[in-house]
Amino acid sequence: MNRSYTWLVIGLSIPAFIWLVPTLWMLSLSFQPNEVLARTTSSTAFGLIPLPFTADNYAALFTFGQTPWWFLNSLIVSLGMTLGVLAVSTTAGYALARLDFPFKRVITVVCVIGLMVPEQAVFIPLYTMFADFGWHNSYHALILPRMAVPIGVFLMLQFFQAIPRDIEEAARLDGVGWLQIFWHVMLPLARPAMMTLAILTFLYAWNDYLWPLVSAQQREYFTITLGLASIQSNFAQSEGLGRVMASGVIASLPVVILFLIFQRYVVKAMTAGGSKG
Amino acid sequence: MRDAKRGYLSQRQSAWLLLVPFLATYALFLVYPFFRGVWISLHDWNLLAVAFNPDAREFIGLRNYQRVMWGQNIQWGFAAPLLQGLGLIGLALAVFLRRMDRLSRFNAIALGVVSLLLVVLPGFHPGEGGRWYDRRFWPTVGNTLVFVGFTVPGVTIAALLLAAGLNRETRAMGILRTLFFLSQVLSVTVVTLIWQIMFSPRQGLIANITEVAGGTPINWLTDQQFAMAAIVIATIWWSLGIAMILFLAGLQDISKEIYEAAALDNARGARAFWFITLPNLRRTIMLVVVLQIILHFQVFGQSHLMTQGGPNDTTQVLVRYIYQTGFRDSELGRASAMAVFLFVIMGAFSVIQFVVGREKDQ
Repeated sequence: MNRSYTWLVIGLSIPAFIWLVPTLWMLSLSFQPNEVLARTTSSTAFGLIPLPFTADNYAALFTFGQTPWWFLNSLIVSLGMTLGVLAVSTTAGYALARLDFPFKRVITVVCVIGLMVPEQAVFIPLYTMFADFGWHNSYHALILPRMAVPIGVFLMLQFFQAIPRDIEEAARLDGVGWLQIFWHVMLPLARPAMMTLAILTFLYAWNDYLWPLVSAQQREYFTITLGLASIQSNFAQSEGLGRVMASGVIASLPVVILFLIFQRYVVKAMTAGGSKG
Repeated sequence: MRDAKRGYLSQRQSAWLLLVPFLATYALFLVYPFFRGVWISLHDWNLLAVAFNPDAREFIGLRNYQRVMWGQNIQWGFAAPLLQGLGLIGLALAVFLRRMDRLSRFNAIALGVVSLLLVVLPGFHPGEGGRWYDRRFWPTVGNTLVFVGFTVPGVTIAALLLAAGLNRETRAMGILRTLFFLSQVLSVTVVTLIWQIMFSPRQGLIANITEVAGGTPINWLTDQQFAMAAIVIATIWWSLGIAMILFLAGLQDISKEIYEAAALDNARGARAFWFITLPNLRRTIMLVVVLQIILHFQVFGQSHLMTQGGPNDTTQVLVRYIYQTGFRDSELGRASAMAVFLFVIMGAFSVIQFVVGREKDQ
């Protein structure tokens, strides 16, 4: 490697470190005692190194407070939404990509139009609907609206379209039914696309704020994202800075771990999700 | 026929069976709510009143739209000379550059339309004794545009430069990319939590560093001059990753040979970036810009949690105003009218996104 490359790496490391600092700071504050933080947040190296060190904030989170409960809610909602979106998207995506039936064109176009409707444009009518059904403050109220968003269908549709026809035709000649082809041949092939969609959905579910804010009014049904919003407005007085930061770290842990393990899929998922609405 | 004999479903039956779960949720939770939203916007609809008595709503046609967007004795003139002048210059430029053939037809039309809107829209103002029915709506739209106007160029330029620097498949570059992308996966509430405290004048990291450097800390989130800047900074930090990744993907498509050929002509580094990278990335840049506009026009959490729309409404944004009108003031009719307004703007940009996405490089 030549010298200009070395300089480039060094030159880019500085902004990269600056980019990391806010996250690092949250992590470091979460490991400092609240009494110290009430006095100063820059004990060692502007507070970026957790000295004096304590793990009490985390211990406190798990002994009292609702953070573990919210965390569990988030897990249930995110996993439920992921399964739901995968189920409706793979089936519909396959049908639109590979099967012939009347009105196929019309249905595809109607679904494309749905990509243009942002969550913010429908959250009020959704709220009144769910209120009429008496569905608010429940897990299905948090899960169902996202299952109607057609992004997943289009991700799967594009994937299925790229699979060569001969695979299906061979199975057809052997006299296998369409549903069997879908289940036994297509789904195993679609694993990478399903993985991408699953990660996209999980990230969305874990981080969604507006709909849970509207729908879940009882604290027992808060997701961790919503719970964190509810404690940050009066953090200093009630809970102590260290504990709020510990909640923030806990709230970020699953998505950060997911990102570090499945980086390639996460990047692909967010690009796909980003560039299609 | 063969299928039926073996007890299998036909192709059509299979297709419908596979489609029904999605189509049912789609119809029930997206299509129907959308039209119901339009319907609510045509009513005087108080959340609490209608909850107790479903007949408490009253059909009032387009009156909600009037209440939100119009006023008494509204006139048109050169009320905002700066913006309107800018629009006129833009219009002239669009015509001139098109005549000189320096601008493609698509770009000329885009510039023309934007400039025309800039001339027309700020010109409306209440005349003698007149007033807007809703004083806060247009300033809120304006704040949203300011937010978009700073965030989108900020993210785009930073992401573009980083992508150009990071466009090498080495281990070090991979790690640097990871670092820049990491903040993207955090939730909005974690981002606001971090930056609320970063910006705090008493406890914040920024204030701590300023003090050591001998300056006086700024009250970022409560100072009218800095509140919007604070939200923009937090948002750029949060959402740089996707733009960077999209640019990196675009850079992969530029062949190495072009750079090698250019290097022979002594075009390296900044010159190569300007004369080769930028022109070849045109479509990606457009796509990223449109995507970002759609994304950031819907900003809510940053304003809601970091500044509560303040100080003095300077960071109040459209989605937050819709949320407040609907759920704090219980005015679902008016809130829905604003939501329809939001949808129309988002829809326009989605169409542009679709066109840009389809357009092949010339």
